[in-house]
Amino acid sequence: MTSEIRERLAGQHVLLTGVTGFVGEALLHLLLTEVPDVRLSVLVRPKGSTSGTDRIAKLLAKPIFETVADAQVNVVEGDLSDPPALPDDLDAVVHSAGDVSFDPPVDEGFVTNVVGVRELLKRVEETGRDIHYLHVSTAYVSGRRRGHIPEGPVDHAVDVEAELTWGLAQRAAVEERSRGVEVISRLRKQAEREHGRAGLMTAAAAAEEARKKWVKDELVRLGTERARSLGWTDCYTFTKALGERVVEAHAARGNRATIYRPAIIESALTRPHPGWIEGFKMAEPLILAYGRGELPLFPAAADTAIDIVPVDHVVASIVACLAHPPAHGDPAYFHLASGDRNPVTFGMLYETVRAYFSKEPFAAGDRGAARLPEWTFPGGASVERVMATGEKVHKIADTLLGLAPRSDRTRGWARDLDRQGRRLKFLRRYLDLYKEYAQADLRFVDANTLALYRSLSPADQETFAFDTGVIDWHEYLHDIHVPSVTKPVRELDELRKLRKKPVPGRMPRISATSPTEEKRVAAFFDLDGTLMSSNVIETYLWLRLGELSGTKKAAEIARMAGKVPKYVWADRAERSSLLRTVYKEYAGARLSDLDGIVDEHLTTHILGRLAPDAVRRIREHRAAGHLTVLVTGAIRPLTRPLLPLFDHIEAADLAVDDRGYCTGHLAASPLVGESRGSFVREWSRREGISTADCFAYADSHSDLPLLAAVGHPVAVRPDVPLFRHAKKSHWAIVDWESPGHASRTLDPAGLRR
Amino acid sequence: MTRPGFVLEVDDRTPPLLVHEGLGFRLEEFPQGTRVVYPPESLPTVPDVEEAIREALENPVDSEPLRELMFPGMRLTIAFDDLSLPLPTMKAPDIRGRIIEQVLTIAAEKGVDDVEIIAALALHRRMTDAEMKHIVGERVFRSFAPQGLLYNHDAEDRANLEHMGVTEKGEDVEINKRAATSDLLIYVNVNLVAMDGGHKSVGIGLASYKSIKHHHNAKTMVHSRSFMDHKHSEMHSSAWRMGRLIGENVKVFQIETTLDNEVFGRPYDTLLKREWEWSLRDQATVLGLRRGLAVAPQKMRHKMFHDLRSNYGLTGITAGAVEPVHELTVQRVHQQQRVKVEGQSDVMVMGVPYLGPYNVNSTMNPILAACMGLGYYFNSYLRQPVVREGGVAILYHPLDEGFNTLTHPSYVDFYEEVLADTTDPALIGPKFEEQFATDPWYVHLYRTSNAYHGVHPFYMWYWIAHALDHLGDVIWVGGNPKAAARMGFRSASTLRDALEMASSTVGPSPSITYLRNPPHLLADVR
Repeated sequence: MTSEIRERLAGQHVLLTGVTGFVGEALLHLLLTEVPDVRLSVLVRPKGSTSGTDRIAKLLAKPIFETVADAQVNVVEGDLSDPPALPDDLDAVVHSAGDVSFDPPVDEGFVTNVVGVRELLKRVEETGRDIHYLHVSTAYVSGRRRGHIPEGPVDHAVDVEAELTWGLAQRAAVEERSRGVEVISRLRKQAEREHGRAGLMTAAAAAEEARKKWVKDELVRLGTERARSLGWTDCYTFTKALGERVVEAHAARGNRATIYRPAIIESALTRPHPGWIEGFKMAEPLILAYGRGELPLFPAAADTAIDIVPVDHVVASIVACLAHPPAHGDPAYFHLASGDRNPVTFGMLYETVRAYFSKEPFAAGDRGAARLPEWTFPGGASVERVMATGEKVHKIADTLLGLAPRSDRTRGWARDLDRQGRRLKFLRRYLDLYKEYAQADLRFVDANTLALYRSLSPADQETFAFDTGVIDWHEYLHDIHVPSVTKPVRELDELRKLRKKPVPGRMPRISATSPTEEKRVAAFFDLDGTLMSSNVIETYLWLRLGELSGTKKAAEIARMAGKVPKYVWADRAERSSLLRTVYKEYAGARLSDLDGIVDEHLTTHILGRLAPDAVRRIREHRAAGHLTVLVTGAIRPLTRPLLPLFDHIEAADLAVDDRGYCTGHLAASPLVGESRGSFVREWSRREGISTADCFAYADSHSDLPLLAAVGHPVAVRPDVPLFRHAKKSHWAIVDWESPGHASRTLDPAGLRR
Repeated sequence: MTRPGFVLEVDDRTPPLLVHEGLGFRLEEFPQGTRVVYPPESLPTVPDVEEAIREALENPVDSEPLRELMFPGMRLTIAFDDLSLPLPTMKAPDIRGRIIEQVLTIAAEKGVDDVEIIAALALHRRMTDAEMKHIVGERVFRSFAPQGLLYNHDAEDRANLEHMGVTEKGEDVEINKRAATSDLLIYVNVNLVAMDGGHKSVGIGLASYKSIKHHHNAKTMVHSRSFMDHKHSEMHSSAWRMGRLIGENVKVFQIETTLDNEVFGRPYDTLLKREWEWSLRDQATVLGLRRGLAVAPQKMRHKMFHDLRSNYGLTGITAGAVEPVHELTVQRVHQQQRVKVEGQSDVMVMGVPYLGPYNVNSTMNPILAACMGLGYYFNSYLRQPVVREGGVAILYHPLDEGFNTLTHPSYVDFYEEVLADTTDPALIGPKFEEQFATDPWYVHLYRTSNAYHGVHPFYMWYWIAHALDHLGDVIWVGGNPKAAARMGFRSASTLRDALEMASSTVGPSPSITYLRNPPHLLADVR
């Protein structure tokens, strides 16, 4: 059977953009397999160090291209923001490149969707040839309109040039604003509140990080706000609509142009194979989240249509459009959509997905399959209320957690809370993004497309099928689409099951250094909370109590108890001020007496509180030939019992007067926060050790610089901020339990009866 | 008249019987036919302790009276058993303090002023001042400790150890230098069980690791059958050889004491009585204790039990030459603790209490619990073990107390590193012992802190070597499964489950013997 489309396109030279994307790849595949006589060029930009040619070679090596392995594709290297000169014998251009992110920063949205189109059309016009330009847009350029949407120009009077100028200027403007005193000082204060205990440089780094994020968020927010103020759902559809205006202007100059608008593109119905999909599109994250039991609600109504089309219908109709160029100066419009004649509703989607997962649940770890949420479709406002409450509760819990004393339970809560937080964030992001689409009662009229389809010969109608009216949605979703998108996740789950433990966060291994080797390694240990469960207040009390008799002891405890809120406050504010407050209490003590008290009374206290795992780890380091260093804000006498474990002890020295009495001050600033980091670097430099080979062990957020200074940081029973940081940075987190007073429990859960 | 020990056969009239398990106890209903071994009730105590001590010192066995061994200008050293004896710690005054006071009085009368007093703790932990004061008494402590004349033996103090020679079997004899170079070495002992005392006192109590390792190893311990019968114990033979060599070099005057069976004072004495004889008061006490223990947090239970002081009375004191003195001592211990048991059984049941020799004022970690059951209780026999070869031991202990890092630092590492590798006593020695024994950190802690020597957990494991060699299975009722598994044992939640598990080894209806201990008993298995 002969194909009319194939004949029409035979010998034509077509340039494709965006072939590395989902639609572009499918289009390339279809043209190579079904229209072999067409000559193809592709415009590809280099990515990193990979050239465009290499990217195409890699693309053609994919399994779906196996049948057309000897295909000839001419690669034009270049970027759409400044496209190169086009081949001089072109007959058509299909422009399907573009960022499909719904919420790009506003300048990027304009660059991709407006500037890119304008520059490409400039090159098209420069060839001076009669080129058919096919523009892949989106059905949702209709924005916040409701009801039937015709296949024609979007009705609006936005000044494209003015918006473009505004949009492109925003990055500079927002960057400028982000450095303004209000923004920058708010971000700095917040960073200091959160990270101040770790030192001002850590806080500064966090503040700059926050500023960059603020710029990005602000650009996204600006785009969305501007789009909504003009009647579009988001920056994507807004800039896409402006892009169409650029195409219409091009047509108005007497050129041939087709504006092609697909709805939501999902996996293939039959070609290259059923269920073929690249990457995750719009609905997939939601489907997967639902299958994991993590999507408890959705803001759509059960009868609202979700307008999806399979990708093979999309590319088939593009090829048909390509074979039927419109008249000069009169752009043609085509919708590829399903909502008008054969709609899928959210209710159907939900039932189908639910039925699928009920039959084939994810193999969800050791707790059995996830419970599938039941959607009640309560409507957008109600969903918003639930979300808002959830977010408020999460915020309050987070604040409370920051105040809670550190313990296993607190870290457990932090882990749960963070998981909840991630879920909430995921939900919020998707609900915000899709709320507009989920509630959009849009019916994209596809009369032109249907007419084009009906005009094809029966053979072409089979080869290039794109009548969405005949799709059995239940079969498509249940048997093709959802199995296809869940497959990679299932494979990942399998892999994860094979791996016993997650690789990141594992305790770094200690490898012995041979004495002949030049490389030396050091391990730095924090004292309070890491090697032992105590804090400075307690240690002060131990020291004093040794000197005092019974009644005086009680009085001293009472006096300290009265001061505790002050100390606690000081501890939150800054570690070094806490240390200074506590060390004032040593005024008047003779240093040699302190040594004596430690040797006589405190050795047992201190040794009895050492975490056995910590001691074992220190000894492992020593056995491996590493240097061990104790870094502590505690006063030197307290470290006496630990002398045999360390090669070097960096402790606080109390200042003494000429009679050997403590003045209540320190001889030098206590080593806390950032000064620990610089101590590590300086000490290592002097010893000729590379910090990248070193280990550090600490428990508190204020030790962050110490941990960050070495190559193998380990968080030991961390407080919540350090716990979060360690998880984020994939640092090892260990639980070195210190014995309370008498005993170390083997297994706290095992305390039965 | 003291009632002798006897073996009860459980029938349908037998009430639930008391079984100790760590910081608590339970009332267990044993299957009918179970044999329960009760020790004899307490022997009569000496009417006047001071008089008995005086009598022993004036009329020693095979020796001149102590008074005549002393002379002005002599070097006199008094060594005494450390806090691992007796169990629990005696109510003050401790018998050792009373003896030392009399010895010091005689020394003063004879014009002896070079006197040092040493706690013979071998590789045990150093005692704290308070613990030392409790044993020797306030007056002795005050007069000697501040001058450094009363101190803990240090088996790692190279400068203060004396190598006295090698026995005919090639064993090094190395003991405390002060003791070895004294004109007279007086040893004050508490002979709680039959394995204590004799040449073990000086030969082990004051020895160094180099010397002790000759008999504290898996091979010797497997061939000690039983430890309670020093003539059939390899370990004792070795100690005897060493003791004789010491005796050739230094004059040893041994003072040994024996105690009755009053392990607990009121109101806990109920726990020592035979269950069917419990009065209303006893029953109320047991009920109250059980209720209280059920709700008390572990810390409180620990304090409650460890604050108990025993009511031991002195049943006899003998002084003089080591060997004849010890013969008499062992006779008295046997008289107090021996129970005749007819034949072995398939299963042996033991309740491991809260206290053993090595966790006084500390915690009963899983290794110590295993040692208490499979070391002390299992070996508490004469002639042959209570359980047949290939039989099953069922022990009660929750194994959940964890490790005291002050007193048992090397135990934690032994548990995490050695037992995780192998639980075979014959393998751990060659592979790990040297490393633990010579580890500078453990040595430092042993010498300066209150830690058991690094090698001590190995000795615990060698201690149970004979039991592991003899038994077909070991099951802990109520034991933490993780801890039990780490040690190579199994755990069950009830006796019924344990017997079910044991049935694969000893069949569905095994003969069972329960050692109702404490009070201390020594099963004489015919």
